[in-house]
Amino acid sequence: MNINSFLFNGFRACALTTVLATTVVQAQSVEPDSCWESVLEEARGQTVYFNAWGGSDNINKYLQWSAGRINDEYGVKLEHVKIGDIAEIVGQLEAARLAGRNENGNVDLMWVNGENFASLKSNDLLWGAFAEALPSASLLQSSEAIKYDFSVPVDGLEAAWGGAQLVFIVDSATTDTPPKSAAELLSFVEAGGRFSYPAPPAFHGTTLVKQFLIELLGPSEASSAMLAAPVDQADFEALTAPLWAYLDQLHPALRGKGKTWPNSAEMTRQLLDDGELDIAISFNPNEASAAVKKNQLPDSARTYVFDNGTIGNTHFVTIPWNATAKAGAMVVANFLQSPEAQARKADPEFWGEPTVLDVNALNDSDRALFDAIDIGIWALPIGDGNVLPEPHASWANALEQAWIERYGQ
Amino acid sequence: MQLMSGRALLRLLTGAMLILFVVPITLGMAGTVLPAFGYMPTLAPGNGFLDVVSDSRFPRAVLLTLFTGLSATALVLLLSIIALVSLHRSRLWSWLSAAMPPLLAVPHAAIAVGLVFLISPSGAVVRMISPSLTGWSKPPDAWIVPDALGLSLILGLVIKEVPFLILAAAAQLSHLNVDASLKIGRTLGYSPARCWSRLILPRLYPRIRLVLLIIMGFNLTVVDMALLLGPSTPPTFSVFLMSLVNDPGSRAAASAGALLLCVLVAACFASLRLLEGLVSRVARARRRSGARGKGSRLFRILGKVVVVLMVVLSIASMLVLLIWSVTRRWRFPDMYPSTWSLHAWISEGADLLSPALSTLSISLSVAVLAMLATVVWLELERLGHAPKLDGLWYVPLLVPQVSLIFGWQAMAYWAGADGLWITVVYSHWLFSMPYVVLILAVAWREFDPYWNHAAHTLGAGYFRVLFRVRLPLMIKPLCQAAAVAIAVSVAQYLPTLLLGAGRHQTLAIELVTSFGGGDRRAIAALAVLQSLLPLCAFVLALAYPYHRSMKQARNNARAVPAGGAFE
Repeated sequence: MNINSFLFNGFRACALTTVLATTVVQAQSVEPDSCWESVLEEARGQTVYFNAWGGSDNINKYLQWSAGRINDEYGVKLEHVKIGDIAEIVGQLEAARLAGRNENGNVDLMWVNGENFASLKSNDLLWGAFAEALPSASLLQSSEAIKYDFSVPVDGLEAAWGGAQLVFIVDSATTDTPPKSAAELLSFVEAGGRFSYPAPPAFHGTTLVKQFLIELLGPSEASSAMLAAPVDQADFEALTAPLWAYLDQLHPALRGKGKTWPNSAEMTRQLLDDGELDIAISFNPNEASAAVKKNQLPDSARTYVFDNGTIGNTHFVTIPWNATAKAGAMVVANFLQSPEAQARKADPEFWGEPTVLDVNALNDSDRALFDAIDIGIWALPIGDGNVLPEPHASWANALEQAWIERYGQ
Repeated sequence: MQLMSGRALLRLLTGAMLILFVVPITLGMAGTVLPAFGYMPTLAPGNGFLDVVSDSRFPRAVLLTLFTGLSATALVLLLSIIALVSLHRSRLWSWLSAAMPPLLAVPHAAIAVGLVFLISPSGAVVRMISPSLTGWSKPPDAWIVPDALGLSLILGLVIKEVPFLILAAAAQLSHLNVDASLKIGRTLGYSPARCWSRLILPRLYPRIRLVLLIIMGFNLTVVDMALLLGPSTPPTFSVFLMSLVNDPGSRAAASAGALLLCVLVAACFASLRLLEGLVSRVARARRRSGARGKGSRLFRILGKVVVVLMVVLSIASMLVLLIWSVTRRWRFPDMYPSTWSLHAWISEGADLLSPALSTLSISLSVAVLAMLATVVWLELERLGHAPKLDGLWYVPLLVPQVSLIFGWQAMAYWAGADGLWITVVYSHWLFSMPYVVLILAVAWREFDPYWNHAAHTLGAGYFRVLFRVRLPLMIKPLCQAAAVAIAVSVAQYLPTLLLGAGRHQTLAIELVTSFGGGDRRAIAALAVLQSLLPLCAFVLALAYPYHRSMKQARNNARAVPAGGAFE
């Protein structure tokens, strides 16, 4: 455990400010508000390099808006460093740790979850339990999905940012009965339906493979327990055998014959619009609404999930141990969790992603922000999908390796 | 005494210039070699060579690289020769030679993106002919872009590099007195094609060998185009190495792989030399045979069609990008957009502005620095203070960029210089130097020394002559060189990505990143903008010297009658 997280756990927010506030040396007060004040003071004038996946225009634009708001409100400059795959940044941080670069790091804030968080946490590359010190932390839902990230305890090391669920988008004008299970999907493509998915280790592809695995194992207590535990406690070969048998059958019938793959989930959406695919995948239940409004999908686009539900998870932002602008990063994280930012994020006009806030516990004016949002007929109808938990973070890497071994060479 | 210290100063300057150029190459290679052999265990743990060779993706990635890189190179050479032979001095030739220089300025990534929008099953070509001619109401199933074999990648490389080789060859032809050779050959009864193959090509080839090697090295190691047009499972070797260098704990493997890539490229260079020997032996025998041959019309028509198709494909790619950038809605199989809009340019203009400014500031600085360095070096060389080192400047183009940049990144990281603006500019400078030196060295060496003597005789000092006579007289090549430096910098993807540590989001970076999932209209706008910057630079480079000479001519015209009236 590093010194900062030790301090955090001991003294919470105020100890932090004494560590942080080199200019405000005597931060004597232990009141949370005054402590946040000194974070704000320290943050003013800082530039925060936020390393976040940059493959979606909606998200990029949303972050631009956030940057403007944060600059106006707090005098913090937010720079979105657009990343293809955040695992690269995890690798860079590991290299920085090995090279002994313990300060002046290139990354102030990063967008993570799942195996990347697990890897950051286990390699001690995170700063500390800053998330618990954020004023907005009190507004969050108190659910397992916020406290655990792919079965790994969050421990305040990352701040919840948004919720997500694997969904499918079809054009109802051309596909009237979309496949609602792994088995139906197989018969759908064998009957000439067009489908493909981003090749693992692309995040959406890995999630779909996990989805198949969960379905093929069937809904039993034993299999759920097995998936919630680290992968090395399971008989991986035996457990995943039905999955590979399924994919062996599925792949030759895919668009691209299992030899070429779309780059990303966004690309499947584009290919759905072009007619090269019949089904797009997304991790955002409201993506179709946002896309229809931007003339990227036809009005007949509809979102659905498999009958037995699909995998859902939460994604977070976190601060590496060697971040340069830690106070600024906290200010940004706090803003991203604010009702204002979360409500805009939930609006399909801008991004359309489910919030991590407990909307019912918000004050009236904040709740009104959320009540005003119309997710549209193109989105996944609210309450329409059973959310399945993510397997333990270690499964992702094991499945990716096995997938690449079989299909990626 | 004064003279001695002046000379020492010049020697120092020469040394400094060399160090500036050689150090990043040496350190870059060291930064790749050391981790590969396990000498940087903290930064790069693991057994590099064993890890990379035992990776399940390794064999097919190498095969794919050899297939795409060598086929593309062979096609580029073949098509360029066909173009020269069948089109030289024709009307089509003048049209092509006007179209090609601008195409050369367009960055690889932009062409690649345009090509995808053009030739995909749902791309513009199929939209154009569907459903009227094809009956397709849905995109056909017959092919996919990018394809598993890498054919799209080969096509992209070929259409981008044929103009490069043709222009390089055309420049050399002017030294070869082609018309005389053709006349002699024809008088002796050889067909035009034989005149070329017997009389001209054997003399031309040695003059374009270096360019061919550069093309071959590029084809075998390109990253951005392979990301956009190449297959992903497995990818080409250099893209595979990119995934390794980003993978925690795989830097040793990535470095070892980067060295293997060097070996692979070197082996391909060597094979080319062997092949040259073989071909020249066969050619010699055939020359002796004296067979005159009949001109093959079919061959010439085929040649014309293929070459025109290449140029048309690149122009069409650019047009498709332009169309998509002003599209609001364009569904398959509509022939053209149903709704047009300047949305991507105006409402989303802010998304374009910041990468455009970043690109502009880097590329302008690179151009200035490259010109400065080259002029200083060529002056030192002319005055006998610096040796003639033409081969040296090409090194950054012959060493695989991946191999150099991995090591440079490791070194920059170690020195804490990664992510700095100046590091990025430095790397772009290194890659633009070969072209700037190439262009200016020719101008410098052809410069008539009479001008210097005349100016000195009139009493002008060194700097006065340089700035008032030499540089103004070379305004054309100087402008060209600046434009080329800008074009090279605007296109740089890998150095900007790896040395910039994500801090410098240029158009090249934005384009490749957003291609994976961005809005097609925004992607198109990015690609158009990335192409426009170098194109504008080229137009200015052509227009400025012209404008200047016109102005001078006007001034002179005004000055003469006025003077005359008083005399």
